[in-house]
Amino acid sequence: MALKRITKELADLGRDPPAQCSAGPVGDDLFHWQATIMGPPESPYTGGVFFLTIHFPTDYPFKPPKVAFTTRIYHPNINSNGSICLDILRSQWSPALTISKVLLSICSLLTDPNPEDPLVPEIARVYKTDRPKYETTAKEWTSKYAM
Amino acid sequence: MRSALLIAFSFVLTAVVVGNAYYQKEQFYPSVVYLTKSNPSMAILYLQAFVFVILMGKLMRKIFFGQLRAAEMEHLIERSWYAVTETCLAFTVFRDDFSPKFVALFTLLLFLKCFHWLAEDRVDYMERSPVISLLFHVRVLSLIGVLGFLDLYYVNHAYYSTLLKGASVQLVFGFEYAILLTAVMMVFVKYVLHSVDLQSDNPWENKAVYLLYTELILGFFKVVLYVTFMVIMIKVHTFPLFAIRPMYLSMRSFKKALHDVIMSRRAIRNMNTLYPDATPEELQAGDNVCIICREEMVSQCKKLLCNHIFHTSCLRSWFQRQQTCPTCRMDVLRMPRPQTTQQTPAPPPQQNQQPAQPQMPNMFPGMYGMPMWAPPPPLPPRGEVPPREPPTPPQSPPSTTPPAQGQAAGAPGASAPPPPPGVGSPPLSASMAAGASAAYANPYSSMFSYMTPFAGFPQPPQNMQGLSEEELATMEGRERQNVEARIQWLRDIQALLDGAMVLINQYNTVAAQTSIPGIAVAQTTQSNYSPSSASNTTQPTNSNADKTSSQYKEKPISKEETKSNTLSSEQTNSSVDEGLSELDGAVGYTPPKEEFIPEWDDPRNEEHQDELHKIRHRRLQRFSEDNNSIKKEEDDLEMD
Repeated sequence: MALKRITKELADLGRDPPAQCSAGPVGDDLFHWQATIMGPPESPYTGGVFFLTIHFPTDYPFKPPKVAFTTRIYHPNINSNGSICLDILRSQWSPALTISKVLLSICSLLTDPNPEDPLVPEIARVYKTDRPKYETTAKEWTSKYAM
Repeated sequence: MRSALLIAFSFVLTAVVVGNAYYQKEQFYPSVVYLTKSNPSMAILYLQAFVFVILMGKLMRKIFFGQLRAAEMEHLIERSWYAVTETCLAFTVFRDDFSPKFVALFTLLLFLKCFHWLAEDRVDYMERSPVISLLFHVRVLSLIGVLGFLDLYYVNHAYYSTLLKGASVQLVFGFEYAILLTAVMMVFVKYVLHSVDLQSDNPWENKAVYLLYTELILGFFKVVLYVTFMVIMIKVHTFPLFAIRPMYLSMRSFKKALHDVIMSRRAIRNMNTLYPDATPEELQAGDNVCIICREEMVSQCKKLLCNHIFHTSCLRSWFQRQQTCPTCRMDVLRMPRPQTTQQTPAPPPQQNQQPAQPQMPNMFPGMYGMPMWAPPPPLPPRGEVPPREPPTPPQSPPSTTPPAQGQAAGAPGASAPPPPPGVGSPPLSASMAAGASAAYANPYSSMFSYMTPFAGFPQPPQNMQGLSEEELATMEGRERQNVEARIQWLRDIQALLDGAMVLINQYNTVAAQTSIPGIAVAQTTQSNYSPSSASNTTQPTNSNADKTSSQYKEKPISKEETKSNTLSSEQTNSSVDEGLSELDGAVGYTPPKEEFIPEWDDPRNEEHQDELHKIRHRRLQRFSEDNNSIKKEEDDLEMD
């Protein structure tokens, strides 16, 4: 079941790749993927290329995949380990979601951070109180780690 | 490379130490004594033993696993840290028994634990690996065999050593190995299930169900083991700090397994009974790809109430984890009654969920709470009732509302009576309210005629033809709940009436004490009060209650007639209870509680209220006239 569905998703990704994202298996283990996200144009991450790892559980799609950034990023909802605070990757997962949808959600999270539910409270505080500073730091980090 | 160097270095060190000892003492026995007396050499020898353990581990890994995958290695390291920490905690608890042998035993335990974890990971890997070689099967089976044997052996060993030498550290080992044994069993069951699954090309649908139940049962064993361990340890030793974390984890996973089993059973039962199979037309109509497995849907598909269609097997697997619609997240457990889908377009799910939760126990709050003797509150305006307001007994005879109104959805009706048409009307009343279908109403109208006044109930569906078999079945099921609630309510009414009767008896007793003429006669008759007559005279009970109580009123009378004339209130009370006790077997029957007898002022304080007395006397006399003849016959019989 899981293997079939992952194969199908891979085929779908090849046929109709989502904008600014790409993903594919690492080696011949179909349960371990690598993905890239280009920084969205209207965000301070523009120009950066961010790498992510994706681990599918054996009972995918009934359990969410584990997605994490491997590239460092200055974002209120992504911590230094690369863990992403996104509800659809935890409690709000649904088998109707696919990796391409998840990647698109992460893209939109980059454009619109959610400072109300932060994973890094410090960055969320800066984001809320001093937007220019947040943007400068995010741009700095992007050029430092993601270019 | 570096580890190889380290290992070589430790070997060289050992060789040097042993060689040095032998060189100095020149004989075997003295050199051994020298080695054990010298702390530095002992330290080196311990180090060497540790290196041996690691080498042994590597060898076993080579035999049973071959190359470890990255994820397995990660898991192993992560879990080892916890295990090492807990072992150190255990050392603190058993610091008195601290000895090299003790450390060796704990190392062995840790060593075996590592292999249990690896076996678990390896068996899980079966599910995601496309090809499983014969070597894999041989390795896993032999590993499970060896681990199971070792666990059993050590449990046995711990058991006998505890029997012979009393409680010691062996207790800990016994429990630890017993828990490892459950882990081996779990791995074995998983292995068997996966192997069966691999035999066939199609995914095996029931595998997840079996897994869930195995997890539940073994989780239960684990919890029992941990709790026993905890209790025994606290009794014979101290508080086993090191067992807290695993105990908590196993309890949590057991709770989760239990919850999963219950919820998934409910959801799957709902799925099997409630939701219609998707028709071929529906499958043809839209995009016929199951959004869960991304395969085409040809047959065996179910349509949820939100009109989303999935494979039955995919839905079942999903419901084992969560009970929502995969597409729109509608909670399937809180779904309301089936819709007449053919006639009305499916309403948005949010609206649907509003009236879905039955509130049976609170259906008639007045019956359980204080205002038992108070006049019923005025009938609230329809549609504007706050949810907790009891649907009040009516003052007017039932006529306008069809009796079956309450049948279709009595439960939600208790909390939210149908709103006036037009004003934010939920889908139900929109589709159902226009008038009760006679076909539906008739079979129930006679049965529940006494229930008719409850205007608060929503309407039944208009058109029964539109409903499928399953929908009718569930509707019937819900009816049953409603009927049960009503019967419960009627029993409460009866209890109230009995309370009233007891009061009347108390009055009579008081009246007898004050030796008012005519009371002697009344005493003989008072027991013949039937609940209905009592209620008629003492409280403003509505006609509804009368009808119901009349079903029961015969019993107390027949019992009481044989009682003696001197009736105290307690006696009456008990005899009433006897009458009621015949109902004890009835489903849902609760004997009347003390609180049903309201606290009245001592009647003696009211003696000066002449009017009340007059009324009372008149009443008693009337009853004595009615019953005198019966009483005489009874007395004659008793004389005989």
